[in-house]
Amino acid sequence: MSLDNYFIIKGEDESGLRLESRVLEENIQNAVEAGKRNLRVYASGQHAIGGRLWKAGSEKINVQIFGSSGQRVGCFGFPNTYIEVNGPASDDVGWLNAGAEIVVKGNAGNGVCNAMAQGKVMIAGNIGSRGMTMTKHNPRFEPPELWVLGSTGDYFGEFMAGGKAVICGYNPGDKENILGYRPLVGMVGGKVFFRGKIKGYSSADAKLRNINDKEWEWLELNLKNFLEKIDKKEILNELLKKEDWQLIEAKSPGEKKNGKRRSMKHFIEHVWDKELGKGGLIGDLEEVDRTPVPVIATGQWRRFVPLWENKKYMAPCQGACPSGIPVQERWRLIREGKMDEAVELALDYTPFPAAVCGYLCPNLCMDACTKKINSLPAVDIKELGKASIGAETPVCELKDDYKKIAVIGGGPGGISAAWQLRMKGHDAVIFDIEKELGGKISSVIPNSRIPKDILDAELLRIKKLIPHVQMEKRIDKNTFEDLKNNYDYVIIATGTVKPRIPLVKGNERIVSSLEFLRNAKNEKINPFKNIVVIGGGNVGCDVATEAKRLGASNITIIDIQKPAAFGVEREDAEKAGAVFKWPCFTKEVTKKGILLESGEFLDADMVVAAIGDETDLSFLPENIETEKGLIKTDKFGRTSDFFVFAAGDVVKPGLLTDAIGAARKAVEAIDSDCLGIDPEEDIREVIDTSRVSLAYFDPRKTGYSGVKDCGDQCASCGTCRDCSICVTICPRGAISRIDKGDNSFEYIADPDKCIGCGFCAEACPCGIWVMAPNTSLS
Amino acid sequence: MQADRPISPSQLSIKDLPWQIDWNKDKCTLCGQCTTVCPVKAIELGVFRKREIKVDLFNPGENKSGTTVYYGISQKTQPEFSCIGCGMCTLVCPNNAIIPMHSDEPDKLRYHSNTGGVPRKRGGRRNSVPGILDRIKFIRISMLTDPALDAGRHEFEVKTLLGRILPPEQSIDFQKKNGWMPPVREIYPLIIGGMSFGALSPPMWEGLQMGVAYLNEELNMPVRICTGEGGCPPRLLRSRFLQYVILQIASGYFGWDEIIHAIPEMKVDPCAIEIKYGQGAKPGDGGLLMWHKVNRLISQIRGVPERISLPSPPTHQTKYSIEEAVAKMIQSLSMAWGFRVPVYPKISATSTALAVMNNLTRNPYAGGLSIDGEDGGTGAAFDVSMNHMGHPIASSIRDCYSNLVKVGKQNEIPLFAGGGVGKNGNLAANAASLIMLGASGVQIGKYAMQAAAGCLGSETDRCNICNIGQCPKGITSQDPRLYRRLDPEKVAERLVDLYVSFDVELRKILAPLGRSTTLPIGMSDALGIDDEAAAKRLGIQYVV
Repeated sequence: MSLDNYFIIKGEDESGLRLESRVLEENIQNAVEAGKRNLRVYASGQHAIGGRLWKAGSEKINVQIFGSSGQRVGCFGFPNTYIEVNGPASDDVGWLNAGAEIVVKGNAGNGVCNAMAQGKVMIAGNIGSRGMTMTKHNPRFEPPELWVLGSTGDYFGEFMAGGKAVICGYNPGDKENILGYRPLVGMVGGKVFFRGKIKGYSSADAKLRNINDKEWEWLELNLKNFLEKIDKKEILNELLKKEDWQLIEAKSPGEKKNGKRRSMKHFIEHVWDKELGKGGLIGDLEEVDRTPVPVIATGQWRRFVPLWENKKYMAPCQGACPSGIPVQERWRLIREGKMDEAVELALDYTPFPAAVCGYLCPNLCMDACTKKINSLPAVDIKELGKASIGAETPVCELKDDYKKIAVIGGGPGGISAAWQLRMKGHDAVIFDIEKELGGKISSVIPNSRIPKDILDAELLRIKKLIPHVQMEKRIDKNTFEDLKNNYDYVIIATGTVKPRIPLVKGNERIVSSLEFLRNAKNEKINPFKNIVVIGGGNVGCDVATEAKRLGASNITIIDIQKPAAFGVEREDAEKAGAVFKWPCFTKEVTKKGILLESGEFLDADMVVAAIGDETDLSFLPENIETEKGLIKTDKFGRTSDFFVFAAGDVVKPGLLTDAIGAARKAVEAIDSDCLGIDPEEDIREVIDTSRVSLAYFDPRKTGYSGVKDCGDQCASCGTCRDCSICVTICPRGAISRIDKGDNSFEYIADPDKCIGCGFCAEACPCGIWVMAPNTSLS
Repeated sequence: MQADRPISPSQLSIKDLPWQIDWNKDKCTLCGQCTTVCPVKAIELGVFRKREIKVDLFNPGENKSGTTVYYGISQKTQPEFSCIGCGMCTLVCPNNAIIPMHSDEPDKLRYHSNTGGVPRKRGGRRNSVPGILDRIKFIRISMLTDPALDAGRHEFEVKTLLGRILPPEQSIDFQKKNGWMPPVREIYPLIIGGMSFGALSPPMWEGLQMGVAYLNEELNMPVRICTGEGGCPPRLLRSRFLQYVILQIASGYFGWDEIIHAIPEMKVDPCAIEIKYGQGAKPGDGGLLMWHKVNRLISQIRGVPERISLPSPPTHQTKYSIEEAVAKMIQSLSMAWGFRVPVYPKISATSTALAVMNNLTRNPYAGGLSIDGEDGGTGAAFDVSMNHMGHPIASSIRDCYSNLVKVGKQNEIPLFAGGGVGKNGNLAANAASLIMLGASGVQIGKYAMQAAAGCLGSETDRCNICNIGQCPKGITSQDPRLYRRLDPEKVAERLVDLYVSFDVELRKILAPLGRSTTLPIGMSDALGIDDEAAAKRLGIQYVV
């Protein structure tokens, strides 16, 4: 094109002063607006020449730049524009180019094509750093292109998002590295064709691959065009060697995600364990298995395991019973419909299942009943006791090596001793001073407490089992010696027989409670109106109740302290109209009554002392140790004489059930002597009642309708009631009931199914299941 | 409890407890997994009664009162079984039927966790959520004023120096006169602080070590880990991985005979030796590994008989003054490796930290100073020590650095800061703050447990039962039933994730400051805080 066809725009004014970029831009825009399409710009370093020429519409514009072209040639270039820089160019050639074709006939500075979106930039030399950075490819247009004959500076193609760059590596700045330092960091799109050596690129973002045929075809065609544009046609053949070319393109997001970090598994296997040895860090110290175990685990990996502790602990009722009767076991038999067995079971422990358990005992078993914890009524043993009257006399035979034992005292302790001896196959002879067997039960305790027919029936059963009874037999030192000589063992159960009488003036007028009650029972008391009872215990209350029966009108019970009476005895005394007075200290007893230390006078035609009874140990040889009027024994009742035992009040004053239990222990010791073993003792602990679940019982239940109801409502503490709730509740179906054939059963938890949740332990109504820490693994 | 029983002063209800189990009867399948997993047996199957009443006003004969039994999950209220809020029940529940909720008011349990006169002990950190480090901002965003850097684009040398760095002239002089120069290591500025083998379970300890080895050998990040005071497994002592390890010696000296025996067989020197004088979580208090944790493995590594309790006294017994304490220990330990290994003390942050630091400036063998602030974690300490004793790390590190500047020795004695770094999850920001306040690097412990092993502990007193060996994640337990829940491979993977992401975040902070080749240690002009007093105290800008 001849020079005449160009419109000349000068970058200096007539006087040679450089025009401001603003003015030159105005001149160029005016020329285009005026219809000029071919421009020659003699530049003086002005900014961004050749961009923004939209006023030409779709008509082509040719801008030839001479001189010093300044920064950002072709900035915001339009597709109609062709720019040729006839020499080198400064920074940012084609910045944000939106379609112009820009040819630089020399080197270009930094930032070539930064943010270019469309158009082509062709550089006939090398470019500076950060070329082809942040380039785009808008799908509406052809991708932008950068052609560089030589090499690029550092940080080429950072954040390149589209377009094609072709770096020919012809006369490069550095033959060893034509893409500069750290190219293509953050590249997400586009392609870079290059020819020559490089020293790495951002492999996190981009990948190297072979050029395919279609791409090569494109390269061949366009390379020719590029070389023509920069007047280098002659080197075409030199550049057209496919094997010299390589291609870098952006990794897809997927490829970036699957970075090629070595897996930790691989590292452990091939690096860690290889350096340290099998098992890694501590493989030399112990067996190492690094595979994790589940949080919810079975078998040996459970933290806690369930244990079926059936009958491991004693029920509180049995634990509280001085006679040691397995109360709850009797309720179980009743639940199972075995009434006879339930009754007979008691006879193993007491000769008075009806008289004592059913009437006379304060029933410590019921006080201890677990159900009371929830304010539920205690299971009523009195019902079962009363029902025991019909129990058959056990059949006992002497065993071959039986012993002969003398039992001194025919009260509850003595009878219990003889009863137990007979049950164990020994021969027992009871010696008693009274006419009637039964001690205070027969002679002193009022009939209102224990119906005569019940007592008689029970005594009959006792006499059947114990044929040898010598009544009205007083034992003294000599006869005791005889007994010792003629019998293998002697058991002393003489109780307390000497009434205590207060040491006050006129005490000869005082009647002892023992005498009073005995006479009352035999109806041998002269009538009286006003009675004062000294001593506010249960015996004093019995006296008061009897006094009422005998027609007394004023009944006063005095005590030096708050009366200790409790239970039925006290209630009955109160019903009888007895007035409790305390503290009262007796000064004198006169014909008319009692003078108190306070000066008060209580009218009385009958004064009874109920301040306890004492033992009479006058028959005791001196080798048997005593303390404060009581015989010293070990826990089995053995005295300091190996062959002499003592039981009941003579050892420690207590309840009827205490005497019955103590006698049973003594017999246990004697029988064990014969067998040459240690006496058996039920030393099981009483169950922790918090293990028993009472939520199953209705709190509105205020009483029981009979023994069957009692049996059902017994919590069966510590003994499995075979309800199978555990089988039902177990979330893993791990628990099963095993029938062991001999009428017994067992529940087991399968360790391969059980996770140790503890549901069985919490749901169990009887407190049988418990969770225990699993055996230590370390 | 039973309503008809008298109450005791320590009788608590669920309302009084810090964590309350919210159980949904409709969703619960009674699968037993929550009660199985509960580490403190705080929940159990409950047997409940439900009363059903039907009345008919016009037909009273038909009135009925009945009861049914149903089962559910019941929360215990005894202090020793109180819920710790760990949320393992929620984790294993198939139906999202159970979750521990924090009490809406301060609990009453705190007044009763001293049964028998024994004050409460626990693990974890100080129960205080806010932290000054989280309030520090990086206010100097260079952009146009300094060469702007791009965290994603630029190469960073995120490394720091551990060891005594002498100025060039002194260094040459030293070499001439002594034929020796203090050893210096170039390491990554985020160090895993001392957590002992014993305090941590075998998979946790190994997982961390594996991760560190991976970071060094696969990712070229020179990360270092401190053993804590519990010895070091013999195999590690004799492996090349020892170079990534800082061996700790403390007042109990556990495992050190094994270390001494291993010296002739060591392939490489350890990175450094840390002499522990104090711990930020329980300043002035010692440690105790209870006998039940001292199993065969622990006994072998620590060089002690099995099943005995192992106390670490609060102080080293044979030291009588700070000069002696520091000089003697540094000399002995330097000598063991022919003066090739940097040796430095670790103290708890304290108002007397300057005295220690000034002493170190006069001792050319001192390789640095590590300071552990009040928010540090521990496996076991008295609650009172954790909650009320100690000094914040920010001002302690700042005071020491400022004093180094005053005596012209900044960056000669590297300071390392620890104690609650990242306690609210802002690890990189906290680390950068401490570095700009003057630390050459930071130490983390608890953060690594949380990020790499899923530790559930928190500063609102969640879980924090590291001391009883029942860690539900198996991090601090010596019971295989618990620690086999933890896969060391996964711990290592998570540790690598932690470091790689930390590295990115740290660069995001450093790049706008225009720093890429050296850490901005002490570059406090970049820091600001919205609290005037704190700004004044730390010598940084007050910004609102």
